[in-house]
Amino acid sequence: MKLVSIESVSKYFNRSRKDPFGKAAVSDFSLDVEEDERVVLLGPSGCGKTTLLRMVAGFLPPDEGRIVIDGNLVAEYGRTLRQPEERNLGMVFQDLALWPHLSVRGNIELGMKAHGISVHDRVLRIREILELVDMADYAHARPSELSGGQQQRVALARALSLRPKLLLMDEPLSSLDVELNIRLRREIMRLQKALGFSLLYITHDLQEALDMGTRVVIMRQGRIDQVGRENEVRQYFKRLALDANEET
Amino acid sequence: MTQRTVLTAVFLFIIGIGVFPIVTMFVASFVTNGSLSLQSYQGLLSSSREWVLLAHSFALAFLVSVSTTVVGVPLGILFGRTDLPLRRFFTVAFTIPLLIPTYITAVGWADFLGADGFLANTGSAAVAQVAYNLLFNLPGCVFVLFSDFLPIVILLTITSLRSVNPRLEEAGKLVATWSGVLRRVTIPLIVPGISLGTILVFLLTIGEFSVPNFLRYHVFTLESFVQFSAFYNFGTATAAVVPLTLLTFIILLAEWMFLRERFHQVQATSDKTGLPPMELGKFKIWLFVLVALLCFTVMVLPLLVLIVRSFSVSVYAAAIAVAWDSLLRSLLYAVVGASLLAVIGFFMGYLIHQKAMPFWRTADTLTIFLFALPSTVIGLGLISMWNRPWTNFIYGTFAMIILGYLAKYTALTSRITATTLTLIPNSMEEAGQVAGLPWTRRIGSIVMPMAWKGILVSWLVAYIFCLRDLEITMIVYPPGYETLPVRITTLMANSPAELIAALCVLMVCATVLPAVVLWMFFTFNTRARNRETR
Repeated sequence: MKLVSIESVSKYFNRSRKDPFGKAAVSDFSLDVEEDERVVLLGPSGCGKTTLLRMVAGFLPPDEGRIVIDGNLVAEYGRTLRQPEERNLGMVFQDLALWPHLSVRGNIELGMKAHGISVHDRVLRIREILELVDMADYAHARPSELSGGQQQRVALARALSLRPKLLLMDEPLSSLDVELNIRLRREIMRLQKALGFSLLYITHDLQEALDMGTRVVIMRQGRIDQVGRENEVRQYFKRLALDANEET
Repeated sequence: MTQRTVLTAVFLFIIGIGVFPIVTMFVASFVTNGSLSLQSYQGLLSSSREWVLLAHSFALAFLVSVSTTVVGVPLGILFGRTDLPLRRFFTVAFTIPLLIPTYITAVGWADFLGADGFLANTGSAAVAQVAYNLLFNLPGCVFVLFSDFLPIVILLTITSLRSVNPRLEEAGKLVATWSGVLRRVTIPLIVPGISLGTILVFLLTIGEFSVPNFLRYHVFTLESFVQFSAFYNFGTATAAVVPLTLLTFIILLAEWMFLRERFHQVQATSDKTGLPPMELGKFKIWLFVLVALLCFTVMVLPLLVLIVRSFSVSVYAAAIAVAWDSLLRSLLYAVVGASLLAVIGFFMGYLIHQKAMPFWRTADTLTIFLFALPSTVIGLGLISMWNRPWTNFIYGTFAMIILGYLAKYTALTSRITATTLTLIPNSMEEAGQVAGLPWTRRIGSIVMPMAWKGILVSWLVAYIFCLRDLEITMIVYPPGYETLPVRITTLMANSPAELIAALCVLMVCATVLPAVVLWMFFTFNTRARNRETR
């Protein structure tokens, strides 16, 4: 069943009277994400991946097209109809965005308080989610006292603490070393299976994309260049390499 | 409460206390005896005296802005980019005049070079006479305001240097020496910051009247004050501030058109890992001596003279007896003003940083315009707006002084907040939004706790500027509400020099003390954090 539907979405920057269309960051982009699916957006820097993710999250309205999440129209044609906090999604940012003045527990608890979850339930859910990401012993630590991998787990725990149906991840592992990167990929997939959320994941790393995605969307200049599973993606890159060889 | 409601309300509040009074004043200046008239302007334009005063103002502002730039930029570079010994100490020492009212430096120099000063009592009469003639004229005014406003150029140069992307300098260093990099890369990049400093000094000098008044050099700003306070000729006083308002507007418009975007581009880096400081080599000791001498002459000497002059328990007892109530009022108004400015400045800074509403640029320009506007304009504007029978609950109380502070100094707190917020990634607030926090909760639980140091600094800066304010308070204070700077000014004419010196020292202590407390707090806090991390 469809969870997210992105329909002919475009986003332009630097628009002015002289140049009414400006620069198209995302152009006529359409994609559906099914329930429990892991979709990876793969592409070089500046191809519009983050802009697209920010539109799904609700930080930017699309200039054209519409976005539907869980059956609700959340944005269309320059209008944000549902704010990020009303979209029932979680997000792990590229810089993780852990609030440095709060403990691990505080980072997770703030959103729960805003949702009116009782103290008793909060304690239970924080313990549960920290155990899931193997961080139960660090509930009182500040983010600055944790390693990169531990911070990553806390960001994941915070994003999942409200049990969202959709998790957005914007190159969350890009700053980690290869070994930790691979270990965390496994953990994210384990959590996704355990908790049953859909994942929209951004990366520019081909291997990471193939590992993480049940479907990979290759983006170029704001458009979809290819959508497929592992074999189709590999074929696509082979074809690209051959074309490049012929040109040279 | 939504973001839109709060930010719009704060913006409208600034318009209400800053723009409305000025518009009301201009409208009033075209009315004589209840009918439309240009009488006030005709009188002003036909008088040759006004043109002379305008020329005086221009000459003073030009000389002060040029001299502060010529001396301040090299000092800023020395403190910000070289291995000059004690450069941090010098930076703090040169900043002190910015913390104290401008006329205190003038009083210090008058005690040193005046008719009854140290030089007249100890040196040759002829030399003392020459020094006296120079001090109580244009050169004296230029020198005193130079020492008062020099920190502005130094600090803006240092800030601009810190904002330059270190990678650009490193790229230059691969092919040139440090001096070549400074000349061809660094200085061209910080030109917008330097120009901003020069413009700010020019505008502040144009609006200044306490120092020219004390040193008996007649300038245009003084004219509107005299017309208002001595002759109560409100129409002519208002007409006299029109040229200054227009001038401020034109200069800021030019700054906005040519420099603002470039300055913002330079600010766009927070990378602190740069090249090691430039080595001064054999020039180090000579430059150190030169800077130390300048520091002593410009910064230490006038304060030292005041301390020596007032060095007696009985003098301080007399000073406290005379001005205790004014001191308490000053502290109270400064605390109230600074607290409101910190709150309003926070929301204005947030609006500017986040570009949260379509009018963010207007809000930014408006606060800077009000800051650069001569205080007499704001003061007269507030009087023309609130001096009505049904608004006496404001006009007859210290709320007038607070409104003046808010109109004049919001630019300081909003700019400090905006700069602080650039250091907090947007994703921090976005993460709160995704987690379901409403805007007020995000501000209270995420943004404010992360920006608390910047908010505290903005409070302190606002406190200092409110406490040292003379020009606005002098015009708007109701009877019985005079502050310490006003009391000192009114006592100057017929009180012993020792008493005035003691009052000035008390004023300096009241201003500098919170800054020292805050600095100690920050130092201990940082050390405790470092110990915790270890």
